Amino acid sequence: MKRNPFPLIMLVLVLAFLYLPIVVLTANSFNLSRFGGTWEGFTLKWYGQLLADNQVWFAFVNSLLIATGATLASCLLGTTAALALHRWDSRLQNVHYGLIYTPLVIPEILMGISLLLTFTAVGMDCGLHTILLAHTTFCVSYVTMTVLARLQDFDDSLIEAARDLGANAWISFVKVQLPLLLPGIISGGLLAFTLSIDDFVITFFVAGPGSSTLPLKVYSMIKHSPKLPVINCLSTVMLALTFTLVLASRAFQNLKQTKAQNGHKNGVPS
Amino acid sequence: MKHIFLLMTLTLTVAALVGGCGPKRPTLHLYTWSDYLDPELVTAFEQANGCRVKIDTFDSNETMYAKVQAGSGGYDIIFPSSYQISLMVQNNMLLPLDKSKLPNVAAHFAEAYRSVILNPEMTYNVPYAVTFTGIAYRKDKIGDAAVDSWASFDNPAFKGRSSLLNDFRETIGAGLKSLGFSLNATNPDELQKACDVVLRWKKNIAKFDNEQYKTGIASGEFVLGHGYSGDIAQVMLEDPANIGFAFPKEGFTAACDEMVIPKTAKEAALAHAFINFLYDPDNACKNIQYICAPMPNTHGIAKLPEEYRKNPAILPPAEVLEKAEVLKDLGAANALYSKVWDTIKATE
Repeated sequence: MKRNPFPLIMLVLVLAFLYLPIVVLTANSFNLSRFGGTWEGFTLKWYGQLLADNQVWFAFVNSLLIATGATLASCLLGTTAALALHRWDSRLQNVHYGLIYTPLVIPEILMGISLLLTFTAVGMDCGLHTILLAHTTFCVSYVTMTVLARLQDFDDSLIEAARDLGANAWISFVKVQLPLLLPGIISGGLLAFTLSIDDFVITFFVAGPGSSTLPLKVYSMIKHSPKLPVINCLSTVMLALTFTLVLASRAFQNLKQTKAQNGHKNGVPS
Repeated sequence: MKHIFLLMTLTLTVAALVGGCGPKRPTLHLYTWSDYLDPELVTAFEQANGCRVKIDTFDSNETMYAKVQAGSGGYDIIFPSSYQISLMVQNNMLLPLDKSKLPNVAAHFAEAYRSVILNPEMTYNVPYAVTFTGIAYRKDKIGDAAVDSWASFDNPAFKGRSSLLNDFRETIGAGLKSLGFSLNATNPDELQKACDVVLRWKKNIAKFDNEQYKTGIASGEFVLGHGYSGDIAQVMLEDPANIGFAFPKEGFTAACDEMVIPKTAKEAALAHAFINFLYDPDNACKNIQYICAPMPNTHGIAKLPEEYRKNPAILPPAEVLEKAEVLKDLGAANALYSKVWDTIKATE
């Protein structure tokens, strides 16, 4: 029987559309030609320029600071919001759910301009702190939704069992509920981090003097810079970092799993 | 639950501190285009004045204006193009400059350039860099002959190997200039005639393009390209033997980015000092080489190395400067241009 070639063709096409741009970008970061149209030879000079470009690194540090801060804050707020939504089923909580859900569907540009208007109305100067507030605002919704999904599968009898065995509310939360929710919180946090680090529209509005983030910097470089290949280098470096992180976390998980299995064999609880 | 609340406040406080703590040295905030200022000059200024300079960048006059207008203050010097400055002045957003703090500007400003800035009395603005649009061409393919006219885009010898800018004011402006009209014409008859000219060119050129034409010229795929002097200057520096830049003899556009101090500036004195610092001839000379566009600074230009001074895309000869015309914001008449441009784009 002849195999249907369609799935294979689709696979190749999808892979090509997903990864070819990345390959082109990586190749161009080593291209001697400034315009990337033709291959003129191998060079590392764009990487040298990237290293020397203080402004790019400044923006990079800003982005990291904001993404980390927004992730931590939104994990905390999002988890508590999800717990409240899960525990109480009242009309107030329905309103609460609606309020948390809205930022997911509001157009970003609307959110950006309204945040800026609010900040100016209360006389707050824009800067890193306003970006942090704005990012936390939209990240909270994502974290809440992920944690809430996790809570829907949560077996409440586990908490009852813990309380039965003498744990108070705090202990049963910290020792039972939190560890079980942790995967949800972490994936919500990762989502928040990625959303925050590449947000452009909202950041554009609420950024103030001295608080340019990487997306803002890259965007203005694309439009108006003779050093375009430096962006390719930066993207390549970030790609390499992301891949390393993913691989490392995979390896770490594998390691834990093997350890856990060995532990069971020896009769030692992991 | 108490603990959670405590942890939450703690995190938010830490977060607020990260954003809130400021440096003790005064900080000068610039709002400019990307890679539009020699970083060595910035370092020199920081050391000389015991301050910090922070640079934020925008990608178009319009986005910059929208942000500043919406109330995002704190920038000390902004670098908009001339036409945007008129709008900012109208809206009372700018601080009149204190000329006594700008002795270098008075001493070194090149008067020849006064005609290409829109606010020549310079009450609020000091010109930073002037760019032009002209024609880039491959010397090795077509020689130096007969490209100094908009009529080159009609030349069948270059069929399919030239490009015009994908910008309605620039390209309709080229059509207008080729007929001897003003770039800022609002007479519908003149615009119609310009439309016909551009349509005729359209049959002869490869495409309307703002970015890839540089690649095309650099690789020799195109022999003629309507483009911005700053962009072409960069291409020329990489291949000076083969690429030339010509100013059409019928006239062409000039644009100027200028330095202004907004009313919301927190370090107005330092901002004046920075503008004055950039107008120092040695600094101006250094910066012109970095950005590949001339700051109208007589003594700074005189100090340029010969390869820069002889490059017309960086420094237009004095006699062509008279033919430059500045694009003005036409307000309601912009709609006329959009309509003509739509016709041009839609006609096969």
